[in-house]
Amino acid sequence: METLLSVKNLCAAYVQGGQRVRVVDGVSLELRRGEVLGIAGESGCGKSTLAQVLALLARPPLWVEQGEFWLDGTIYHLAQEHRLSRELRGCKVAMLPQGALNALNPTARIREIALEVIRAHQPKTTPQEAYARTQERLERLGLPVRVLEAYPHQLSGGMRQRVVTVISTLLNPKVLIADEPTSALDVSSQKAVVKLLRELLEQRVIEGVIFIAHDLPLLRNVADRIAIMYAGKVVELGPSREMVEASRHPYTKALVEAVLVPEPYIRQRRVEGIEGTPPDLRAPPPGCRFAPRCRYAWARCRELEPPPFGDKERFAACWLLEGMSA
Amino acid sequence: MRYALSKAAWYFMAFLAAVVLNYFLPRLIPGNPVDTIVARMAQGGGSEGEARQQMYQTFLREFGLDRPPLEQFLNYLGNLLQGDLGTSFGNYPAKVADLIAASLPWTVALQLPAILLGWILGNWLGVLAAYRGGWVDRWAFLGFLTLSNIPYYCLAILLLYAFSVALPLFPSFGGYAPGTTPHLSLDFILNVLHHYTLPFLSLVLVLIGGQAVGMRSMAIYELSADYVHYLRSLGVSDRRIVWSIFRNAMLPQVTGLALAIGSLVGGALLTEVVFSYPGIGSLLFTAIRQNDYPLIQGITLLVTVAVLAANFIIDLTYGLIDPRIRSAQVGER
Repeated sequence: METLLSVKNLCAAYVQGGQRVRVVDGVSLELRRGEVLGIAGESGCGKSTLAQVLALLARPPLWVEQGEFWLDGTIYHLAQEHRLSRELRGCKVAMLPQGALNALNPTARIREIALEVIRAHQPKTTPQEAYARTQERLERLGLPVRVLEAYPHQLSGGMRQRVVTVISTLLNPKVLIADEPTSALDVSSQKAVVKLLRELLEQRVIEGVIFIAHDLPLLRNVADRIAIMYAGKVVELGPSREMVEASRHPYTKALVEAVLVPEPYIRQRRVEGIEGTPPDLRAPPPGCRFAPRCRYAWARCRELEPPPFGDKERFAACWLLEGMSA
Repeated sequence: MRYALSKAAWYFMAFLAAVVLNYFLPRLIPGNPVDTIVARMAQGGGSEGEARQQMYQTFLREFGLDRPPLEQFLNYLGNLLQGDLGTSFGNYPAKVADLIAASLPWTVALQLPAILLGWILGNWLGVLAAYRGGWVDRWAFLGFLTLSNIPYYCLAILLLYAFSVALPLFPSFGGYAPGTTPHLSLDFILNVLHHYTLPFLSLVLVLIGGQAVGMRSMAIYELSADYVHYLRSLGVSDRRIVWSIFRNAMLPQVTGLALAIGSLVGGALLTEVVFSYPGIGSLLFTAIRQNDYPLIQGITLLVTVAVLAANFIIDLTYGLIDPRIRSAQVGER
């Protein structure tokens, strides 16, 4: 499959009071046309910061230190010295935030918000045209048109998130960056949002989705491939099914095991949590960053950082895998 | 509709309570209005003890002050129901209503433009400071805070000293040059504006400060709201975002505006006193000094009605401005 978006060696840090905390540390990823790429990890591992950077939203105190951003044939340099034009946001990459109630201006009707977004890129659009376009989009996606006249607080939580999804994709962005879009929703609303994303992909409104979540079973259903992040780095990547059923990195295994799934074979087992917390990124441990919490860690893990073992399609960064892959 | 009625009933109760207080409070001021008047008349022509006693009794009867307090009160209520505010003691036999009608235009003309201008400028500067942030915001905030914390009469005295005494650019008292009578001519209008400048400035500056402080903190709160990040993430320009913030942060400020307009009829009492401006504030000041009960009552009643009316209107219209409150009132989801 053809590559839609790729980032290489992305580093981003929060700088405040002379202190520099590198939260995204050398991340390289590739998103293919028509694909949903999942990114998972504990909170505090850099997922949302990565989302901010990928959506071109980094602003102080978050600084992008380096990174190349290749989108559909054009290279953009993300490091802060290169100012990216506002027009890219919403048109090329768009953000789908979590918590849709707060994402919508509480005193504006949905149609006014839609108009605002369309006008940001096509200033000459009349309210009628914007209305018609939004209406057409809603109809095509099987959502009720009456939401246009509603205020955000008049919609249910699930409907609100779907409306935000529609607004985010109004301008047909190539890539949609969904930052935990379903984390505040009940299961059936989650399903509706996921279905909507799939539909948007099928109708070619958007061409790729980066879906960030902490919920591995959900990601397994949504994403084609999953990348696992730990302490600012991608530690394992592969096709969704394999990632959940045959994970290689001890951290991924621990994440899979920590999930509560009411299925018989799991119910009989003790759910293993992961001991400890992610490392303090102000002073990351030398060697493998997961080593302090890893039950398989040995001397080498604490000294040398493991390189990715495997190939571009399926790799994990863990010394245990040295020599296993060929 | 039910909402409006219950609100109206509520405000009517408040009004009744205010009428009672308006009536009794001035009468608690030590001294007797008749004493003041008789003493003043006696100064003019040196009348003797007998005649003076006679005069005293006549005034007491004329004003109805010799009746039992309850009867006086009921009399007052009866007159009030007929729209009669009574006759001034101090400026006998001028009608209270006429005295107020003569002063009110001066007060409104001084305050309404000051409030509106101060409100608009203050809010705009507040948003601007919040949006700019950094050192602009720090210095602007300091300025707003200083302005808003100077008591308005102190600023009035400072301005009076600076631009009328030390640097005699503007007249120090009155609404127009002494010796002229109000009439419509370019000369007179210029003269009025000349007298108008200092009191106007003293009010506007303080208002700008107060509004800007409030607006700035509202705007800073709104700036960190998720919807601002969301609009930015979709490429909406900063100019448009500031406009959204302005609209939302404005809502609480509207209450402030309505209240300010409601209480303006009371006059910026001290401003008017400092500049000897012929408005309601000066009138009230004289009335209190003369124990002029009907005039005090008349003015305080006017203030009460204006403040209550402003509040009532805010209650009714706030929902129109803010859809969240509207739906809470109607009870829709």
